Amino acid sequence: MGGDLYRLEEVRFAHPFPKTSFALEIDLLRLEAGATLALVGPNGAGKSTLLMILAFLARPGRGRLVYRGGNPWASESDLVAARREAVLVTHHPYLFKGTVGENLAFGLKLRKVPETDWPRRVGAALDLVELQGRERADVRALSAGQVQRTALARAIVLKPRVLLLDEPTAALDAALGLRIEAVLGELGRQAGTTVVFSTHDFSQANRLGDDIFYLSEGRKVEYSHVNCFSGTAATDGRLSWIEPKPGIRIVFPGERRGHVTCVVDPARVAVRPANGPPAEAGTNVFGGRITRMDLIGPASALLRVSGDLTFRATVPMEEVSAKGLSLSKAVLLEFKPESVEVGHD
Amino acid sequence: MIFRELGLAIWISFKTSGLAALIASLLAVPAALFLAGRDFRGKRLVLLVNQTWMAAPTVVIGLLFYSLLGRGGPLGRLGLLYTQTAMTIGQVFLVLPLILGFSYTALRQVDRRARTTALTLGATRRQAGWVVLREARFALLTAVLAGFARAISEIGIAMMLGGNIRHATRNITTSIALEAAKGDFRGAAVLGAILLAITLGTNLLVQTGLPGKRGD
Repeated sequence: MGGDLYRLEEVRFAHPFPKTSFALEIDLLRLEAGATLALVGPNGAGKSTLLMILAFLARPGRGRLVYRGGNPWASESDLVAARREAVLVTHHPYLFKGTVGENLAFGLKLRKVPETDWPRRVGAALDLVELQGRERADVRALSAGQVQRTALARAIVLKPRVLLLDEPTAALDAALGLRIEAVLGELGRQAGTTVVFSTHDFSQANRLGDDIFYLSEGRKVEYSHVNCFSGTAATDGRLSWIEPKPGIRIVFPGERRGHVTCVVDPARVAVRPANGPPAEAGTNVFGGRITRMDLIGPASALLRVSGDLTFRATVPMEEVSAKGLSLSKAVLLEFKPESVEVGHD
Repeated sequence: MIFRELGLAIWISFKTSGLAALIASLLAVPAALFLAGRDFRGKRLVLLVNQTWMAAPTVVIGLLFYSLLGRGGPLGRLGLLYTQTAMTIGQVFLVLPLILGFSYTALRQVDRRARTTALTLGATRRQAGWVVLREARFALLTAVLAGFARAISEIGIAMMLGGNIRHATRNITTSIALEAAKGDFRGAAVLGAILLAITLGTNLLVQTGLPGKRGD
């Protein structure tokens, strides 16, 4: 492990056009060389945008990104040099027209790797992703999973310093996903590659990540602040649920079975006084008392509410005063089934 | 003698329209690459203007350049009116929006992932641009050929800027108009069939003949 490979300070990113309300706001992110970082969060939380920034494909509008002690955007040549060290594999990778082998050779050619080395390196990378002997296969004949693996091999063949992966196992079946996980683990541990990957799968994040960065609505949320429950899912076909405690259900949409992890973003948990009107049918409702209140940022508070289960909820300050929320006050917590992020273990 | 005239008209058509499609492509494809790769304020307006320009009647473009290149016009002293150069210039402006529009669509279809992928794999901006063009090469060739087909089959510009001068600016379409005006419908029909054969051949090339096009 070396010093900071990346250091992001007060980084702000907004999509310039078309204008959207979405923004990524990272106050501090440090990444050590050789570390494996898991980015977790709901869809639209900013995981892909952060990966684009770490791959130097999107430049933050404000703030500072230091890579290996310097500014990668200092000049065009610095930028190209930095990009050649940090390779991104996107969630829906693009393969250039032609063969698998030609795709893998693309980056080698740009790096002026002697052509005599190509077959050995290409073969080794394809072996790793279990596509051995497919160099001559036309990319149009590949399945979605094979496309994903080819893209991964195309990055691995370059032996990058940093490997950035957007949901690397999403398009793969479970067995192959585990195999790719093993490859990533190997790259991190043995080759010293720094790996940053995004995932919906909390157990995968825990298995692979030295550190977990939970993103919600473009901001980092302390992973310990995230509401996280595990259990065996039961289903009626339309809705499924787990019972973290007997008789206490967390309900989420769809048909799920097996052991799952449910995560509820504190920002999606509504807090209201216990004597208020009844909740909308089908909503998850839990009672409890406020056992902790922390100020997080200038305008919102993080509440811990303990009852049958302990939840955390972020509440705007004006709501805290309007609803008279204070320590020991009995409250009801509500969140929709759709707000529950479900990951398979 | 008739065959010589016919051959000359075909040659003039190919020369002026081929050159127009080539020049327009050299301008339109880089512009389309720029437009496809960026979002900026006013881009929709640019595309709207291009689309409107695409529908401009050939005689309107002919008239515009007639007033520019005519003796009293601002470019009159160049003496280009009633020359093949004038025909080419007019046709460049006719097919430019068409090639730009088609190229833009083609490059958008290749989508930004191609460029982003090239960049993350270590390409410079210029190399990434080439990658995008290479990925869209068949669709771009289609755009160029469509531009050529449009140029070779138009008459308004050829007539107004070329003047239908025998052995100098008379091309296939102006020959057809002349033959028809003379009452020689058979000759006009033969020329029309030749023109149709050329455009059909171009379209066939676009549709099926390009190597490796299927499935792209």
